[in-house]
Amino acid sequence: MAAVATVSSAGGILAMLHEPAEELKLHALASLNSVVHLFYPEISTSIPTIESLYEDEEFDQRQLAALVVSKVFYYLGELNDALLYALGAGPLFDVSEDSDYAHALLAKALDEYASFKTKASKATEEEENVDPRLETIVERMLEKCVLDGKYQQAMGMAVECRRLDKLEEAIVRCDNIHGALSYCINLSHQYVSHREYRCEVLRCLVKIYQTLPHPDFLSICQCLMFLGEPETVANILDTLLSGSKDDALLAYQIAFDLVENENQAFLLNVRNRLDSQTPGQSNPDSGSALPADQTVNAGATSTEPAGDVQMGDDTTTANGNAHPVDPNEAAHADKLAKLKGILSGEKSIQLTLQFLYSHNRSDLLILKTIKQAVEMRNSVCHSATICSNAIMHAGTTVDTFLRENLEWLSRATNWAKFSATAGLGVIHRGHLQQGRALMAPYLPQSGAVGGGSPYSEGGALYALGLIHANHGEGIKQFLRESLRNTSAEVIQHGACLGLGLASLGTADEEVFEDIKNVLYTDSAVAGEAAGIGMGLLMVGTASEKATEMLAYAHDTQHEKIIRGLALGIALTVYGREEEADTLIEQMTRDQDPILRYGGMYALALAYRGTANNKAIHQLLHFAVSDVSDDVRRTAVMGLGFVLYNEPEQTPRIVSLLSESYNPHVRYGAALAVGISCAGTGLSDAISLLEPLTSDVVDFVRQGALIAMAMVMIQTNESFDSRVGTFRRQLEKIILDKHEDTMSKMGAILASGILDAGGRNVTIKLLSRNKHDKLTAVIGLAVFTQFWYWYPLLYFISLAFSPTAIIGLNSNLEVPKFEFLSHAKPSLFEYPKPTTQQTTTSAVKLPTAILSTYAKAKSRAKKDAESKAANQEKTAEAESKANQEKSTAESKPSQEKSTEAESKAKTTEDASGSTAGEASKTQEKDGDAMQVDGAAEKKAPEPEPAFQILANPARVVPAQEKFIKFIEGSRYVPVRPAPCGFILLRDTQPSEAEELVLTDAPATVATAAGNNAAAAAAGPGSAAMAVDDEPQPPQPFEYSA
Amino acid sequence: MDPKLVEVTQLFERFKAACKRSDLDASATLLSQLKVLLTKFPSLPPLFQQTPNAVEELKLAREIYEHAVLLSVKMEDQDAFERDFCQLKPYYMDTCGILPPSSMEYPIMGLNLLRLLVQNRIAEFHTELELLPAKALENACIKHGVELEQSFMEGAYNRVLSARQTAPHETYVYFMDLLAKTVRDEIAGCSEKGYDYLSISDAKQMFMFSSDKELQQYIAEEHPEWDVKDGRVLFQKAKESQPCKEIPAAPVINQTLGYARELERIV
Repeated sequence: MAAVATVSSAGGILAMLHEPAEELKLHALASLNSVVHLFYPEISTSIPTIESLYEDEEFDQRQLAALVVSKVFYYLGELNDALLYALGAGPLFDVSEDSDYAHALLAKALDEYASFKTKASKATEEEENVDPRLETIVERMLEKCVLDGKYQQAMGMAVECRRLDKLEEAIVRCDNIHGALSYCINLSHQYVSHREYRCEVLRCLVKIYQTLPHPDFLSICQCLMFLGEPETVANILDTLLSGSKDDALLAYQIAFDLVENENQAFLLNVRNRLDSQTPGQSNPDSGSALPADQTVNAGATSTEPAGDVQMGDDTTTANGNAHPVDPNEAAHADKLAKLKGILSGEKSIQLTLQFLYSHNRSDLLILKTIKQAVEMRNSVCHSATICSNAIMHAGTTVDTFLRENLEWLSRATNWAKFSATAGLGVIHRGHLQQGRALMAPYLPQSGAVGGGSPYSEGGALYALGLIHANHGEGIKQFLRESLRNTSAEVIQHGACLGLGLASLGTADEEVFEDIKNVLYTDSAVAGEAAGIGMGLLMVGTASEKATEMLAYAHDTQHEKIIRGLALGIALTVYGREEEADTLIEQMTRDQDPILRYGGMYALALAYRGTANNKAIHQLLHFAVSDVSDDVRRTAVMGLGFVLYNEPEQTPRIVSLLSESYNPHVRYGAALAVGISCAGTGLSDAISLLEPLTSDVVDFVRQGALIAMAMVMIQTNESFDSRVGTFRRQLEKIILDKHEDTMSKMGAILASGILDAGGRNVTIKLLSRNKHDKLTAVIGLAVFTQFWYWYPLLYFISLAFSPTAIIGLNSNLEVPKFEFLSHAKPSLFEYPKPTTQQTTTSAVKLPTAILSTYAKAKSRAKKDAESKAANQEKTAEAESKANQEKSTAESKPSQEKSTEAESKAKTTEDASGSTAGEASKTQEKDGDAMQVDGAAEKKAPEPEPAFQILANPARVVPAQEKFIKFIEGSRYVPVRPAPCGFILLRDTQPSEAEELVLTDAPATVATAAGNNAAAAAAGPGSAAMAVDDEPQPPQPFEYSA
Repeated sequence: MDPKLVEVTQLFERFKAACKRSDLDASATLLSQLKVLLTKFPSLPPLFQQTPNAVEELKLAREIYEHAVLLSVKMEDQDAFERDFCQLKPYYMDTCGILPPSSMEYPIMGLNLLRLLVQNRIAEFHTELELLPAKALENACIKHGVELEQSFMEGAYNRVLSARQTAPHETYVYFMDLLAKTVRDEIAGCSEKGYDYLSISDAKQMFMFSSDKELQQYIAEEHPEWDVKDGRVLFQKAKESQPCKEIPAAPVINQTLGYARELERIV
């Protein structure tokens, strides 16, 4: 009895199927169903028999037969047939069964259903021909997921299957609605590749958000921005403003987050709507207080009926009733003004400017080394150095290097001069108020003919565009006038670029007409810029204008114009995904390689950051099959744009291409990695680029060096040791006399990018909410055009975004506030200033003082760092004293240099009140130093595992996940994510606030106006105090 | 004792009685009732649940199916035979650890071999043979089948036909008769390939018919494509040459061109 019988064959059961008696057939089927996993090979030969049972209308267990057949097909790997019969099995097919069979078939069913639905949505005429049985299965599946609490799974499936009703149901039934919604938003951005459908999903999400008792306005507004519904956003903001103080904070926060996405046209719209709403709102306010209060109350209750908020509202209501309307309304107007300030981008630009200025850590020694190593006559390297300087100081307003090397600078002639002047725009980027004054000496003089060289004038207009990029309301008019008043093509060139930048994406008809007139003059130089300018103006509008531009590109004979237009057309379809397909098709099939080249850009930009498979396929296809090297190069480069939302993927995808025999393809591969992995410091990317930096072809080396710098930006040596190797490699290339000009230029630019923006910016193509940053992407796209036209290098500055956490209180001031970074400080600190570099350059320079100074200086630095807090004050005092001395000393020399400059470039008459200015700047410098000192003091603890950062602080992207807000501190952030601008709620509003940055030092310092040299004295000396140029007294005083 | 088991046993007795009486219709009806009743026992294949009465049930079921097989022979129903045998087989193959071997096992196995031979399913014949243990080959019933197959393969058709007399079991006679026809078909197949024509007398001898008439009838029934003319049987008509296969030029060209294009594209 011990032996247990095991079944060895299903032959007996199969034979039973042929029995005439129904019961026996049934029994056989039931038995088969239980042993099918063992004997499917045997059963498969009898499938026809079972099928005939299924098809037999008389047979009352047809579904069982179907189930058996389905299982056999599943085991045979015929999923399609398996699914077909599983559908026939009806309720017998158990969705909750935990078997491979059920899982596989469910997955198949979902796939099938999803693809059905996708197709159905495309062919709108016959939507409902989906197998109802399939639908039932999917619905049962969804229902089961919800019941089991697997909400995320259910949501994913619902989105995939285009069942928004089910999605809504899943979200509403979920226990954590907010989590679910944010999960869905992520989902829709990452996995929904079809733009229109994504909009639908988001609309649905917004709808759910709005029905919630505590809507998450931050997320709603992000969605609405993607959907392009400024009206709703304006409504929300307005409601929040009229709510409690915390609500207002939230409104500010929303505004900052919206600004981060750089969608100028949308922000403008929101602002205009706010304008148009306020009179409507305030009119009944002034009429009688009561109804207004009721509306406020009603608004608040409808959105948040929570008790405590209600309380806050009640108090305001009481106030409003007790006093006449004025204070309430004034407060509202004040808030509105603030909000508009934020939405215009001015506030964030101003704060960024302050941050970049005060935290500037650029290393002038690097530049100096470059300058000395570069041959004077080599104009490519010369202007690359100027560009490198501009990038290094982008947005910091520090132009010391230029001021100190005016004579050297004057070697830039013609277009180099144009570039050099434009570089000023990069340095002063975001200096909205003073921008025009700063550039005034170089700008074309209205009325006066032949004031200066057209090159510097054109460059200045371009520079103005860079300063006001994406925030050009104030400067647009001036640029238009300049464009109209000139016929010199160099100036037109600069003006077109400037206008395009300033009115980025606004689709302003008048500006378009102006630029178009320039285009129709058919001058090659101006036409190229006009093409790009038109593109910039119409970014992402997918307007009809593109056809017009395409037609002209066919007409004209000038390659430059065609190229400009091709890029311009590509820009117009930015982010339109499927909508752009017709245009892309048209361009990529064109006879003219330049237009095909534009088509690559169009493809890349239309599908930017979507990782869309179709686009990737197309680009890869062109990368290997087009006859023109330019097209192939661009196609590979385009991969970088398409994939920047998944940087980990890029190195894998282009790794084969990076080993291509064709140097253009290799170059493209390098830049693709550089673009998509920019600022990530991704190890794979670095491994891929490393061999390319020593390629046999010079321009591949150039591309690889630049790309490497883009990847490594803000990564220091302790994070990845290869950064140090790369820095040394750059230095070697720059110093090597026999290196090719191309790669030398690459190395010079790379060192600029590596330390861009005073080491406080990174290249970021995605905002915190995973939306694309329009300006940044556009900036990089035009930047890659430097292959043909060096002045376009400066567009890279658009891609820079500061890595700062700046906390703001309700008055939008920067209060004293501290938070934790739970990581070793060394991981994310600034790279060490180059000291050994001085010794190498000392070999070249016959100055013995320099090396000793370097030693002393490094010692002094260490001393300063190890100083305890109580010594801090004296140190500060000393440094202040130094400052005063140094400014006093540097004054005469700078005045000399002013004269020198006035020879080189046309400057206006010297300003009158130099003395007054000097005192002002000194004061401000003192402030700046205090800030620096405060930041310094927190850093060096013996071997700390964490670090306390003071508002505002530099926090590199990799560091963000380590940031913690300290519990129980006075200020509480409105939103938890630690990056960018954060509004802080004051828990002790009654106490006086201590502010850190009271006013913009840069603004006053450079308020000098006409005399540019004098204007630079302030920031210049500040920079010196940090890290440059021998100042004999300093070391002695420290060591004493 | 389990009432169900009792019921089946009683029914089985009636069935056996009917068989004895050679009342085929009655026994067929009883048999199908029995089979339905058997499905209620979970101890039977494929479930093999270990119920207290498992052994009795298995034994009974085996006997029923053995009788069913024999009945099908009696009814000269080959399909039923195959069906019943298939259902019986698990009792022989899978239950050898539980049940004592049945006395009918080898005769029935042999019968099955014979059936396969008759149906000219030689591959299956050998499969069955492989599944049998070595000592089973010595059993007279099995040996009979094996020898028959060997003679059949050698072409010693005489021996096949004469083996009818040496059948080890009375049930074998039915299949032995059928075998003669199988043999004849085989010969016909070979002749068709081997000869263009045969004279009627040769053909008669070859196909082992005693009269011309039988031959004529056979040809008319089985091979209407043959011609009987001038005292000869002509096979040519059956040998129509098949059209030679076309060369798939277009696909091959396409493929080659495709490769060439891909080669061009190698990066």
